[in-house]
Amino acid sequence: MKRNIRVSRVFLYLFLIIVSFICVFPFYWMIVGSTNTPIQIIAGKMTFGSHFVENFHTLFNNYDMLRILMNSLKISGISVILILLIGGMAGYGFQMYKSNLKEKLYGFFLLTMMVPFATLMIPLFKIITKLNLLDTHFAVIIVSAVSAFMIFFFRQSFINYPTEILEAARVDGAGEFRIFFNIFVPSMKSTFAAAAIYSFITSWNSYLWPLIVLQSNEKKTTTLLISMMSSSYTPEYGVIMLAIVVATLPTIIIFFAFQKQFVQGMLGSVKQ
Amino acid sequence: MKKSIVCLLVIALFVTIFGAAGAEDSDGKITVWAWDPSFNIAIMKEAAARYEAINPDIKIDIVEMAKADVEQKLNTVLAAKTTEGLPEIVLIEDYNAQKYLQYYPGSFADLTTKFNYNDFAAYKVGVMTLDGKVYGVPFDSGVVGFFYRSDILAEAGFKAEDLKNITWDQFIEIGKTVKEKTGKYMLGFQNTDGGIMRIMMQSAGKWYFDEEGKPALIGNQALVEAFELYKKIVDSGIAKPTNNWNEWVGTINTGESASVTSGVWIVGSIKAAKDQSGLWDVAPVPRLSTVDSKNASNLGGSSWYILDKSADKDAAIDFMQKIYAGDKDFYQTILINNGAVGTYLPAATGEAYSTPDEFFGGRAIYEDLSAWMKEIPPVDYGIYTYEADAAIMAQMEAVCAGTMTIDDAIKAAEAQLENQIQ
Repeated sequence: MKRNIRVSRVFLYLFLIIVSFICVFPFYWMIVGSTNTPIQIIAGKMTFGSHFVENFHTLFNNYDMLRILMNSLKISGISVILILLIGGMAGYGFQMYKSNLKEKLYGFFLLTMMVPFATLMIPLFKIITKLNLLDTHFAVIIVSAVSAFMIFFFRQSFINYPTEILEAARVDGAGEFRIFFNIFVPSMKSTFAAAAIYSFITSWNSYLWPLIVLQSNEKKTTTLLISMMSSSYTPEYGVIMLAIVVATLPTIIIFFAFQKQFVQGMLGSVKQ
Repeated sequence: MKKSIVCLLVIALFVTIFGAAGAEDSDGKITVWAWDPSFNIAIMKEAAARYEAINPDIKIDIVEMAKADVEQKLNTVLAAKTTEGLPEIVLIEDYNAQKYLQYYPGSFADLTTKFNYNDFAAYKVGVMTLDGKVYGVPFDSGVVGFFYRSDILAEAGFKAEDLKNITWDQFIEIGKTVKEKTGKYMLGFQNTDGGIMRIMMQSAGKWYFDEEGKPALIGNQALVEAFELYKKIVDSGIAKPTNNWNEWVGTINTGESASVTSGVWIVGSIKAAKDQSGLWDVAPVPRLSTVDSKNASNLGGSSWYILDKSADKDAAIDFMQKIYAGDKDFYQTILINNGAVGTYLPAATGEAYSTPDEFFGGRAIYEDLSAWMKEIPPVDYGIYTYEADAAIMAQMEAVCAGTMTIDDAIKAAEAQLENQIQ
């Protein structure tokens, strides 16, 4: 019996090692690539090279990398705050309050998840031009600030919340906003952390909509920069790889910073 | 009730704050959309600097994007029919130009009387002509060269003279000798890539469509021969099979293959392997043998278009006239700095064109290439080049494997194309 367990352990580890190798390999190649020249990358060189400094100089001198990084951080940061605020409140409202229209409205919101973005793009673009918001970061943020998926996500994780706590607070005379911010949010920290990571990554990686509404070089985001660099008769692969490394760092940092909460959030915050 | 009023007020506030900040000031600013930082964009920056020196009141703002992104944005803005957010000038790839001209009539400025189009390569002007009107400013040429490693071919017993003005059949025979004597491949080849096929077709002045833009694959002898050549290249073993662009460029840079036949823009990639300096040479592209065909063809290239409803249209036209159709020195600079062969013919006699290139064993390759450029047969690319390409290449695997005859493949491709474009 014990032996069997040991043998299956070996296979389990073997399997996990292979899977983690497959997961880690692109990252390895990306980092290695950022230290090599385009020719070395094309030739399939898999070891660290000596061109990191050169690539670094090209990236930060020829392209406005720092500003573009700040643009992405600004858009993603503000988007996350708005998504947490709006999505959190909406999810809370849908779950905790009673109303006859509630479920119909909720169903309607969920339906909007089924409309592909491509069909919304042209009308949205027209609205944004009418509002004079073309080529502003606000145009990117406002569209991503309300997400039906996040409302759905919040509501689902709020289902098990013991409403007795809220009622007790109400009896003690706390207002609705105070209950939400001072009692509810702190106890659902991990749900909000999970939502923050998810929406940050979505916003950080968003591509199509920023492409359509952002017009000038100064407003660009990292995804647009990387895409621009790769479209070339002779692409500078080393520099592109480095740009991808730089663009990946914030997501990695945020993920590791919130990792514990993220896992908890996925499991559910409050247990009765 | 109170809440909704507050909501409205907040929205109104946001709109005014950000709205004011977002209003675009379009006076005296020419916006350009383009791709490729080391080529088109670098060249446009050079042009902008030259124009701003003549006309300091104008500022030229070049927005850098990926090629697919330029197309996506242009489609969205034109489909939304807004005039805001339009650039003055946009770069469009030649194969796709007719698509934009025909899908969005009235969107591009009619430049017929603004430029002397006899000054530009004839094949290039055809690309941007619709119903007798010309809508663009011809830019870079994709004139094709048969670039080869003179050292490897000499080792196999071939001199430069033996490689001039040959047919593709001779090319394959030479390749076999090279493979036999040196062990090197003649070329890197992806048999599902339509590049070589488009080169072959244009050298015969043929394309995938008839004069009305209808698919004309069946009965197209140039296409039949191109199909046969694809199969022969694969069967003869002279080609190193590659799966993508990187591998393909890799076969040149690593010295695995002895030649590459492609647009002049490939020179940048060839020269990236600095250790191969002096070992390269160029000859005219091979021609077809069963149809009337020239040792001159084109692959890729793009041109500038001016948006008719953009705010500073007239300034943009003046800019293009002064630099792209007037400044010969500009064309020398971009040839030296970016390896760009312009299609403005008066510039092709300049000094930069006749300077010997050490990388190519002291040959003034651009002089040759621009001479071949004038010979390129004009072709109407129509609006479905890429669709036709995909339909044909979908059958190529079966043809090369010998499980399908070329006649059947062409019939299947035409059926697929008809289906797709209806």
